[in-house]
Amino acid sequence: MFMHIYKYRLRCLARDREMVFWTLIFPLILATMFHFAFDQLMGRQEAFRPIRTAVVASDAYRQNVAFRQALDALSGPGEGQLIELTVTDDREARRLLADGAVAGVITVGDPIGLTVSQSGIEQSILKAVLDEYAHRYATVTGILEEHPADPGGLLWELGQMRSYTQQISFSSAEPDTTLNFFYALIAMTCLYGGFLGLRNTTDVQADLSPQGARRSVAPTHKLGVVLYDSAAALTISLAEVTVLLAYLMLALRVNFGNQVWYVLLTSLAGCIAGVSLGAFIGTFVRKSENAKTGILIGTTMTMSFLAGLMIDTMKHTIARKAPVLSYINPAALITDAFYSLYVFASHRRFFLNIGLLLLISGAMCTLSFLRLRRDRYASL
Amino acid sequence: MLVRVQNLVKRYGNLLALDHFSMEVGEGEILGLLGPNGSGKTTTINCILSLLEYDKGVIEVFGKAMAPDAYESKRNIGVVMQNVAVFQELRVDENIDYFCGMYVSDAKARRRLVDKAIDFVGLGEFRTFYPKKLSGGLLRRLNIACGIAHEPKLIFLDEPTVAVDPQSRNKILEGIRDLNRQGATVVYTSHYMEEVEQLCTRIVIMDKGKTLAMGTKDELKAMINDGDTVTVELYALQPDHVANIRQLPHVTRAEYADNRLAVHFDGGQHNLLTLLDYLKSRDLSFGRVFSEQPTLNDVFLEITGRQLRD
Ligand SMILES: Nc1ncnc2c1ncn2[C@@H]1O[C@H](COP(=O)(O)OP(=O)(O)OP(=O)(O)O)[C@@H](O)[C@H]1O
Ligand SMILES: [Mg+2]
Repeated sequence: MFMHIYKYRLRCLARDREMVFWTLIFPLILATMFHFAFDQLMGRQEAFRPIRTAVVASDAYRQNVAFRQALDALSGPGEGQLIELTVTDDREARRLLADGAVAGVITVGDPIGLTVSQSGIEQSILKAVLDEYAHRYATVTGILEEHPADPGGLLWELGQMRSYTQQISFSSAEPDTTLNFFYALIAMTCLYGGFLGLRNTTDVQADLSPQGARRSVAPTHKLGVVLYDSAAALTISLAEVTVLLAYLMLALRVNFGNQVWYVLLTSLAGCIAGVSLGAFIGTFVRKSENAKTGILIGTTMTMSFLAGLMIDTMKHTIARKAPVLSYINPAALITDAFYSLYVFASHRRFFLNIGLLLLISGAMCTLSFLRLRRDRYASL
Repeated sequence: MLVRVQNLVKRYGNLLALDHFSMEVGEGEILGLLGPNGSGKTTTINCILSLLEYDKGVIEVFGKAMAPDAYESKRNIGVVMQNVAVFQELRVDENIDYFCGMYVSDAKARRRLVDKAIDFVGLGEFRTFYPKKLSGGLLRRLNIACGIAHEPKLIFLDEPTVAVDPQSRNKILEGIRDLNRQGATVVYTSHYMEEVEQLCTRIVIMDKGKTLAMGTKDELKAMINDGDTVTVELYALQPDHVANIRQLPHVTRAEYADNRLAVHFDGGQHNLLTLLDYLKSRDLSFGRVFSEQPTLNDVFLEITGRQLRD
């Protein structure tokens, strides 16, 4: 029975053209558009040269040991050298900038400032590096406040700085910011699995569709039908996300690091969340089919937006202003799972994200099923 | 009794759709559920199938209380819904196989059943069509095939032949009679009297959620005192002849107008012969003669004062 229902459900969902457009073609188009937009932004991809940068040798600079160490780490010669640092006074720095001898001038203060004379890839990278430093500095300060006696954690965090910038900036020749967009795009695609979940709930309820009525009179347990249908929806959704991942990695050469299995695991958890979200909306929103689709699109778009689909700094903003959102927003959990996979050596934060995703999905599924299980309807 | 419905009450909000409705379906019957639009036929069937909540009443199928999880009973039921219930993404044969497969898991047996069902509704040349490419009538036929492919013992058909052309309709009715001969019990709803008259062994007439009458065709017709009506074409009949005819046995009315004599009898036998004997004995030459049986419409008209098809 499983195979029978599953097989035909696969066919139904895979042959639904509109569905395939939204859940597969549309993300592919977005990915391509992102890619060309970033390509433009970065100009031709050349062999990477360390970015010539001036830093103003103020008192503040001399006193900020942590920042100096970070800059040293980034400008130390070798494979991972990201910037070529000139420490000089304010006037000289400005002259170098005007002459185009440096890409940007860093002034240490609160906050740390970056002056550039034009925008381009090098300037973007510098900005990303400084943003990242500020973000990390906040984390480190947090660690110090919480565990004044744990210099290990501090060293570990600081140590990440170099390897992190090195990986992102060199192995893919793309700065961190574009990756965030792609993470959010994958998250969106996972959550678009909701379209499949939504359609499933319509097709299983006697009061929503004649097909649902016909299946309700068959001698098959409702839970069975719901589970088999969901398995098919999950299969399709995961296949679509896998196609998107393959397209991103192979055709667009986006580098997600080398933990393919973890990337797939994240996609699986993301698709589970998507299908559950669709089922949840499909069961609890008692409106027309179009209204439900609209609500689903609105929900996933908002979630993806809050996870950084349109504005790359969104994630940090949320983390600062409304941290609880990043723990209950499936899109944020998905992007953060990718992010932590990429950035952190340990998988603790990764699994926290996956766990939360599954927990939220489980809750949505259970509630949906309890509602779906209702055996007779007030009207058809 | 395969189906027993007793005092069923169903409300949609304030609307009383079924008002202490009762009926029974015996094994081997083709029961016609006849009633005008909105009389509660579909509601009755959906209640029997445990799709709808109801406010009051008892429903038994195969001698057991019907419930959403009465899988043993459900296994032997086939349903053709009033609304076409097929998947747009599945081809004709896939749709039939899909629904059949919810009852029959053996793939080989199923292949035979699917072929048979396709043959039954005459969709052979449309096997690989998607529903979108089928005309309204062909789609209805697919809908029927999906409901009966698993050869159920008890079949509910809710106005299955709407939009089906007369030729295919006859084929389908013939097919239903075949299924019945092979042992299936059928509950058939319709507001086409001719269909019900042709097909059903027993008829329940309902209106506004109530049972108005039930019985075989003849029992129902016997319920109204209109016997048969004989119409004779003849020229220049004198009024005293008409008066004499009114005195013949079993004659309730006799009118002569437009060269046509219409005589109503209430029951009795050989009424036509009696009338024709009288005409011959008076050397009255006549043209064509029609004898009309009362129709279910007359029955409905008599009970409700309304036409069934208005
Ligand atoms: N979902 C519903 N909500 C409210 N009222 C309904 C609903 N379904 C049916 N009704 C009402 O219940 C009554 C019976 O409807 P039902 O569909 O059972 O009639 P029917 O005999 O099948 O008619 P038809 O010949 O048109 O199919 C009608 O008055 C109808 O308006
Ligand atoms: Mg109806």
